[in-house]
Amino acid sequence: MKKQYAFLVDTERCIGCFTCAMACRNYYHQVEGVVWRQVHPLSEEIYPHRERAFLSLSCNHCENPACLNVCPVEAYTKREEDGVVVHHQEKCIGCGNCIRSCPYGAPKYNPVEKRAEKCSLCHERLDAGLDPACVQACPTDALQLVDLAEFERTNEVQYPAGYPRMEGLNPSTRFVLPKTPKMVRR
Amino acid sequence: MQSMELPLVLFTVFSQAAIGLTLMRVVRTTADGTGSGDRDARREWGLIAGLMILGMLGSLFHLGHPLYAPTALKHLGTAWLSREVLFAGMFTGVTVLAVLVAGMTGRPWLAWLGTLLGLGVIVSAGMTYAPPALPALNNALPFAFFLTSAVVLGAGFGSWFAGEERAPLMARIFTTALVVGLVLNLAAPCVWLSGGTVMRMTGEAWLGSGFYWAHVAVLLACLGAVWKTRTVPAWLPVLALLGELAGRAGFFADTIHTAANMGGLY
Ligand code: SF4
Ligand code: SF4
Repeated sequence: MKKQYAFLVDTERCIGCFTCAMACRNYYHQVEGVVWRQVHPLSEEIYPHRERAFLSLSCNHCENPACLNVCPVEAYTKREEDGVVVHHQEKCIGCGNCIRSCPYGAPKYNPVEKRAEKCSLCHERLDAGLDPACVQACPTDALQLVDLAEFERTNEVQYPAGYPRMEGLNPSTRFVLPKTPKMVRR
Repeated sequence: MQSMELPLVLFTVFSQAAIGLTLMRVVRTTADGTGSGDRDARREWGLIAGLMILGMLGSLFHLGHPLYAPTALKHLGTAWLSREVLFAGMFTGVTVLAVLVAGMTGRPWLAWLGTLLGLGVIVSAGMTYAPPALPALNNALPFAFFLTSAVVLGAGFGSWFAGEERAPLMARIFTTALVVGLVLNLAAPCVWLSGGTVMRMTGEAWLGSGFYWAHVAVLLACLGAVWKTRTVPAWLPVLALLGELAGRAGFFADTIHTAANMGGLY
């Protein structure tokens, strides 16, 4: 398998503090209403405990990206060297087709630029040998950067409950599921 | 609820009306093999080209950067939207050419060519609006909705140009397309109710939508009018057009995206 950078979301460690989402915002200063990384609480049907569990999500840098396939102006490319899906905003004409087509809601419409935009996996930071801003900021190491070609854990899943199963796209994000919390009785 | 995407509503409905009219020209002029069903071709092609140009202009308002619209032809390899733009551009070209060369009777080959390109527009639009992110529409339904709209509007407005001998044919096709449209529109949301979460949410949103019921009511009213008068009265296609516009607004506004349920059961 070729190198494919991916987010590993350890929901057992995630405390839902939104630091990853804030770090993304601090780094890129998106305009109001545009969010590249969002922390979604799992519904009670999925995680029925007083303690909560969360999915921190952004673009999944899919193997077969819907955004790239549907963009009429070829504003998306997938980097050969690490599988990062990059949106080239200067080419975008703001048709919204990628926004409608990505099942994960990763591309967003920037009403000031009148173009789409999304998580770039901080590829300029990767090129400089740094972690993405969200990964670097996570205080519990719940969000990590992994290379799927070398990834060796065995307890991760690709499609946890609360996340759309889209085999045609083959999203790269992997998840560690939350454990049932321990009940302490006094 | 998402945006009702007015420019896309105008583009898809007007282009489908134009394509349907072209298809009905072929049907009428070849119905008895003599071409005698053709009359006043220039006016009809004028309406077709006008609808198409209006739709194309309308679609530009959907873009953040309309001046760069021609670059949308770049990704013919995988993007159905690029293919849609290509087919729509070629179809518009044919309609303008047809206006220029038509006399009282048109050139049948232009209607045939227009119909083929028009079907290309409908197929590619059907694919563009059927992304995996909209589970309720990630199938052949958008194509079926668009084709039905084209036939309803084509036969409806086509009756303006049909003359007495072809009017009953247009009325029959109009009625059939109305029934197909009604069945599709009534069945689809009911089927969605038994689907996964996002499909069910879409079914509920459609069934709770004024756009949806306005469309259904217009389809029923059109059927009633044809049944009562046994013809397609001149005003009826305009009512049908309003119904299709309402239905299309609902199609865009009330279809739920998978991202609306992140963290919930799918
Ligand atoms: S998650 Fe969406 S935006 Fe990101 S690569 Fe996949 S299809 Fe494209
Ligand atoms: S909004 Fe921009 S990036 Fe998205 S499909 Fe349209 S042109 Fe491509």
